[in-house]
Amino acid sequence: MNDVLVGRALVKRFGQTVALGGVDIAVRAGEAVAIMGPSGSGKSTLLHCLAGIMRPDEGEVHLLGQRIDAMGERKRSALRRTRFGFVFQFGQLLPELPAEENVALPLMLGGVSRQQAVRQAREWFAPLGLPGMETRRPGELSGGQAQRVAIARALVTRPAVVFADEPTGALDQRTGQDTMRLLVEATRHNDASLIVVTHDPNVAAWCDRTVEVRDGHLVTMSGATA
Amino acid sequence: MNLDLTWRLLKGGGRKGLLGVWLTLGAVAVSTALLLFAVAANLAFDARAERGAWRNPVPVAKDAAAKDAVAVEASRFDYVRDRAITVVDLAALRPDAAPPPGLPRFPKPGETWLSPALAELARELLPAELGDRYPRPAGVLGDEALVYPGELVAVVGHAPDAPAMTAERSDDWIVGKPPVRVASLAGTPSEDAEAYKVLAVIASVLMVVPLLVFGGAAARLTVARRDRRLAALRLVGATPGQVVRMTVAEAVLVALAGALVGAVAFALAVPLLTLIEIQGGAWFAGDLFPGLAVLAGVLVAVPLLVGLSAVAGLRRVVVSPLGVAKRETPPGMRFVRVLALLAVLAAFPMLTQGTSVAIVAVALGLAFLCLNLAGPWVVGLIGRITAGTARGPARLLAGRRLVDDPRSAWRTVSGVALTGFVAGFLGLLSPGAFAQADGPPQLRVLAPAGQAEQVAGQARERLAAAKVPAVVTVVKRTVVAAPSGPLDAAAMDRARTALAGLVPGRTPTTEADERGFGDQLLADVRVGTIVVLSVSFLVAIASAGITAASSVLDRRQTYGLLRLAGTPLEVLDRARRAETLIPLGVMGGGAILVGAFCATPFMIGGVSVAGVVTLVVCVVLGFAGVIGAGALSRPLLRSVTADPAPRPD
Ligand SMILES: Nc1ncnc2c1ncn2[C@@H]1O[C@H](COP(=O)(O)OP(=O)(O)OP(=O)(O)O)[C@@H](O)[C@H]1O
Ligand SMILES: [Mg+2]
Repeated sequence: MNDVLVGRALVKRFGQTVALGGVDIAVRAGEAVAIMGPSGSGKSTLLHCLAGIMRPDEGEVHLLGQRIDAMGERKRSALRRTRFGFVFQFGQLLPELPAEENVALPLMLGGVSRQQAVRQAREWFAPLGLPGMETRRPGELSGGQAQRVAIARALVTRPAVVFADEPTGALDQRTGQDTMRLLVEATRHNDASLIVVTHDPNVAAWCDRTVEVRDGHLVTMSGATA
Repeated sequence: MNLDLTWRLLKGGGRKGLLGVWLTLGAVAVSTALLLFAVAANLAFDARAERGAWRNPVPVAKDAAAKDAVAVEASRFDYVRDRAITVVDLAALRPDAAPPPGLPRFPKPGETWLSPALAELARELLPAELGDRYPRPAGVLGDEALVYPGELVAVVGHAPDAPAMTAERSDDWIVGKPPVRVASLAGTPSEDAEAYKVLAVIASVLMVVPLLVFGGAAARLTVARRDRRLAALRLVGATPGQVVRMTVAEAVLVALAGALVGAVAFALAVPLLTLIEIQGGAWFAGDLFPGLAVLAGVLVAVPLLVGLSAVAGLRRVVVSPLGVAKRETPPGMRFVRVLALLAVLAAFPMLTQGTSVAIVAVALGLAFLCLNLAGPWVVGLIGRITAGTARGPARLLAGRRLVDDPRSAWRTVSGVALTGFVAGFLGLLSPGAFAQADGPPQLRVLAPAGQAEQVAGQARERLAAAKVPAVVTVVKRTVVAAPSGPLDAAAMDRARTALAGLVPGRTPTTEADERGFGDQLLADVRVGTIVVLSVSFLVAIASAGITAASSVLDRRQTYGLLRLAGTPLEVLDRARRAETLIPLGVMGGGAILVGAFCATPFMIGGVSVAGVVTLVVCVVLGFAGVIGAGALSRPLLRSVTADPAPRPD
């Protein structure tokens, strides 16, 4: 009964396309869930529905027992800022901000003073293997380094759930796996749940369990369940 | 292959890509229309000067044989209802003397030819008010003889030995031209016509520089949208040449369409522009239509400039395929830029010591360009300060963005900053007229030596006959007629008519009449200021709107992802606003000061209230306009970030 995020009978249609055809999913506290499946099967759509980015046409989404899919855009936006963290494939860092300020931004948006926010942000660099990169700008970082900065940014607000949509999709396999391990470890370390969309079975292996989406339905579940 | 691909790139840009194309097209259209206006204004003043030239005779050379002279010509000013009439006195020395422009034949002695507006006025008013001054009208002057459509002109024919053609006259051009023997009536543009031409050149410089900046920005807008796409093309192996050709083809295509739209817009605006009154009158539409050659030139030059600007913007992509895909800390803006401005400012008073107006215009343009050069550096500095002191996210974002790309931020505010320069310059330059309290109007005329009393006696008789009660006195050689009793405009004109021809070749005038020319010049400077400011504003606001929109388009992916991660739209919007407002405040204010500084060498008298008011209105309008234009792109920001799955394209 310690489900953090629950999606019930989620349906999402785009015109004729049924992207989600009634999906049930529950994510527990601290759990890392990999979502796999062929291209166009509805993985991103599921992620967006769970994260309050999209409203499902049918079904409900609950965060810690609170229904979030029916909230207005403003409230969902605030929720995403405070309770969720996001890591996308690329392009999420502001190119003109130094790395540390990119990480500090969500804290500052939450009202933390700039000094405090930057200090907190800096604490993330060494554990994520980014010592000395604090003042570099995203353009001066490698793809893997930039993703690690993005991970720091997603975690800095100590969210309940981190969503990642193909976070390693733009990296080579080795870097991708390193980055993925960091992502899983860091979220676990922070007692956050992780929902990650990936195409790489090796990456999925780092997670507690894997769900597979086909044509908008969950078809298999593997890995540890309880 | 290139054109085909270009066309597909254009179409394949999606709705947002197309929006960028429309923005470019609009920007180029505005630029072209205003450029045509700037060029047409100069040509129009030239045309006026040429048409007025025949009234400004060129005397035959002293040593030339007497047979070279074909006519005697003189001019003076008369007044009716406080409007000036140009009176040209002509006498033929030879029967085959060619007539002046607008006349079918040389006026015979005693004949008068009136301009259409004067003829009309003569019909409206009583003969005693106007018509009697020009008896025996033989016909109406053609437009070729007129500087502007409603001009009041009278041509009076004389015998060569008539008193009007032989009596001494003043040399002061404000009063008229003394009779001279001329070899032809072609004449030469008058001093004041030349002065207006120079003023028009200065106004054009002030308008064209912001236009060029704006046009360049528009071109880069096309390129910016294509940056990533083209970098990708380079990565898959397109040669630099292909990339350049494709981009330039696209930019030039769009610019050509924009230039055509702009030309049409200008043509449609001409009827309105002809209503602007300068030198006392509105314009012939023909004067404001630049010739076909000029039009063609502009239609070729604008797309060419846009294409060149696009090439310049593309250099980065071409040099390195990763140049755009990977963004690094931009190299610091060099301080030399500011030194250039300071150097020009220091040299400015010296440069303007020269009497040549061309040098002054060049100095002005130079100061202007240097301001534009120093602008990005100062914006970068402002950005560093803003980012350094920012407490909240919005200011931090704004500051970092200013440091990241000071040029683009400068482009947004440069319009207003340059307008500020113009406003500061002209604000100081237009004193509030030489307003002096007038006593009751007195008509005065200089009598020939030793005849003052006799002329005064005639004046008394004539005024009595015209039933205008007046006290006529003599001050040295000047006969002064001070009408007594209630004096309306009609009575004044009766007095003028009664005294017409009292002294051959001279017109009785009031102090106000003589001041009219100075007042006219000041009024024209003010009209010119307003025109230049309006143009600058149009440019500034259009440029602010376009830059804001293109900055949203350029960064739609990052904005979209930030919004997905829960960043409130208001923060992004506030950051965008601060990004404009902070440099606007600093640069706008700075530019006004620089403009004012440049104006001090030319200042006549003290600072005028009218000038300061114009300036304040300008600043308020500028801020409001830029904020408004920026706010227009808010819906765009909303729609761009509403996409739940933003993808790079
Ligand atoms: N905004 C949209 N408008 C219309 N159809 C959409 C939209 N977003 C997704 N779809 C459709 O919904 C289906 C599921 O899309 P989704 O993006 O969830 O797939 P995915 O599993 O994430 O694929 P990939 O692995 O390629 O990212 C697809 O058929 C897609 O075409
Ligand atoms: Mg997807």
